[in-house]
Amino acid sequence: MTALRVEALEAGYEPGLPIVRGASLSVESNEILAVLGPNGAGKSTLIKAIAGLVPVSAGRVLLHDREITGRAAHRLPHEGLGFVPQTENVFVNLSIDDNLDLAASILKVPKKRRLDKLYALFPDLARQRRLLAGRLSGGQRQMLAVARALVGEPKVLMLDEPSAGLSPKLVGIVFEKLVEVRATGVTIVLVEQNVKAALAIADRAAVLVEGSTRIVGTARELAKDPQVAALYLGHYRGDT
Amino acid sequence: MLQLIADGFVIGSVIALGAIGVTLVYSILRFANFAHGELLTWGAYLAWTALLGFAAVWGPMEPLGPFSFGWTLLASLGVAAIATAALALLVDLLLFRQLRRHGSAITLIMASFGAALVLRNLLQFIFGAVPEYYSREIQVAIRLVPRDVLGGLRITPDQLFVLGLTAVSVVGLHLFLTRTTLGKAMRATSINPQLAQVTGIDVDRVVRATWIIGAVLAAVAGVFSGLTVQLRPQLGLDLLLPLFAAAILGGIGSVYGAVAGGLIVGLAESLSVPIVGAEYRAATAFIVLIAILLIRPTGLFGERP
Ligand SMILES: Nc1ncnc2c1ncn2[C@@H]1O[C@H](COP(=O)(O)OP(=O)(O)O)[C@@H](O)[C@H]1O
Ligand SMILES: [Mg+2]
Repeated sequence: MTALRVEALEAGYEPGLPIVRGASLSVESNEILAVLGPNGAGKSTLIKAIAGLVPVSAGRVLLHDREITGRAAHRLPHEGLGFVPQTENVFVNLSIDDNLDLAASILKVPKKRRLDKLYALFPDLARQRRLLAGRLSGGQRQMLAVARALVGEPKVLMLDEPSAGLSPKLVGIVFEKLVEVRATGVTIVLVEQNVKAALAIADRAAVLVEGSTRIVGTARELAKDPQVAALYLGHYRGDT
Repeated sequence: MLQLIADGFVIGSVIALGAIGVTLVYSILRFANFAHGELLTWGAYLAWTALLGFAAVWGPMEPLGPFSFGWTLLASLGVAAIATAALALLVDLLLFRQLRRHGSAITLIMASFGAALVLRNLLQFIFGAVPEYYSREIQVAIRLVPRDVLGGLRITPDQLFVLGLTAVSVVGLHLFLTRTTLGKAMRATSINPQLAQVTGIDVDRVVRATWIIGAVLAAVAGVFSGLTVQLRPQLGLDLLLPLFAAAILGGIGSVYGAVAGGLIVGLAESLSVPIVGAEYRAATAFIVLIAILLIRPTGLFGERP
C-alpha cells in the first residue's frame, strides 16, 4: 500500500516563482525513502510543501490515498503526518517532558501511555525529562524532535536533514533510531545531504535536482551507480 | 511616602493589565500595537454605556457596601469585556489579518497607528469630549496606617477593589497559560510559530485567543481607570507610553515582566509627583523607558536579543 504519494508537485514561496517544479514520488507503507539532491535543489521546500508550510500551486499530495494537498499545516499531525524540521525543531524553553506533553494535549492522545512508549524508545530522553530542551546536545535534541513528531502516532514521518550538524558517530546513532522507529510500523521520508548514511538505511531513494525528481530507484541501485553520484550528488564520491 | 506607594500600585495595576495585552500581541503577532490604548478607552466607555443601559431598566445604581459602585458596574464590566474583545477581533479581521499575509512588521505598526486614530475619533464622535464618571458617590477612605508612620496610608474601597481584581486577573492568566492546552499552545506559538503548526497547533485560534485576552484585560484596565480617575477619550492615548514602558521594562513578550513593569512604572509616576509635580508625571514613564533602553534593552525578564 502506498503511504504517501506526491504527483507533479509545484510549490514555492512567491506566487509565480515555483522552487519545486514537478516533483513526484511515492513511498510504500513501512518503507524508508531517502530524498537526496544537491544543496538548493528544493528538498526542504518540497518537504515543507507536503507538510503544508509552503503554498502549493499545482500537483497533488495523497496520504494513504486521501488527498491532503494544500491542507493547513496544523491539520496534518492530526491526520497522521509527522514532520521534523531541520532547525529549531524543539521548543527550547520547555522541558523534554513539556515538549512531548504539549504535543499530546494538542493531538488529544492518551498522554501517559504514549509518553511511556516514547521514553522506552528514547531512554536518553527518559533520564532527563525535566531538562530544558534548549540545554540538550545536538544528538539528543534531534532525538527529542523525532519523539515530538511521533507523539501523534503518525503513519508517515518526514525528516529534514536530521544529520545536519551532527558528528558521524551521532549520525549513526540517530539513524539507528530511525530504523527502530520504522520497525514500529512508521513509514519514513528522509531528506538528506549525507548520501552515504541515508542510503545505508533507506529502501529506496529519489534524487531531486532543480526542483524536480530526476532519478528514483532502490537505495542499492543508487549507491552503486557512479554516474548518479557524479552527476547529482557531487560531494558523495569522497567518503564522509 | 506610603501613600505614594499605594497610589502607585493602583496606577500600576491599570498599566500592568494594559501592558499584558501589548506584550501578548507582540509575542504572538510580532508587532507593537499602538492601538492597544484605545481598547482601554473603548472598554471604559462601553462599560459606561452598559451602566446607563442598566440604570434605564433598573433605576439608578445602588452602591454595594463601602464601594462607590453597585453590582450593575460589575455587570457592565462583563459586558464591556465581551464587547471590547469583539472590537479587537473585528479590527484584526478587517485590518491586521490582511496585512499579516504580506505586510512587514513596520506595515503592521503603521496600521496600528491608523487604527488608533480611527478608534479614538470614533469614540469621541459617539461619546463627546466631556469627562464622565461611573459614580458620583463620595467614598470614605479607610485609614490603614496612622499619619505619624511614614506619612500614613489611606485607601478607598474602590482602590482596594482595583488592587484585588488585578491580582485575581494576573493569577487567572497565569493558570490559563500554564495549565490549559490553549494557554500552552499560546506559549509555544510565541516561541516558535512554525514548530507550533507542525505540532498541530491552530495558530489562527491562538491569535484569536490573544486578542480576546488582551482586550478583556484592556477593558478591565479601562474601567479601573474610569473608576479611580475619570472617563476621558484621551485615557488610552495618555496611557500608551506607560503601557509600552512597562512592557519593554518587563522584557517585551514576557507576561510576568509586563506585570512587574506596570507596577514599577506606576510607582515611578506616583513617587515623581512630589518632585516634578502632577502635571509632568506622565513624563516619568518616558524617562523610565529611555533609561531601560539605555541600560538593559531586553528588559527585566527579556530573553530574546
Ligand atoms: N523561506 C524562503 N523564501 C524564499 N526562498 C527560499 C526560502 N527558503 C529557501 N528558498 C529558496 O529555495 C531554493 C531551494 O531551497 P531549499 O528547498 O532549502 O533547498 P535544499 O533543502 O535542497 O537545500 C533556494 O534557491 C532557496 O534560496
Ligand atoms: Mg534543506
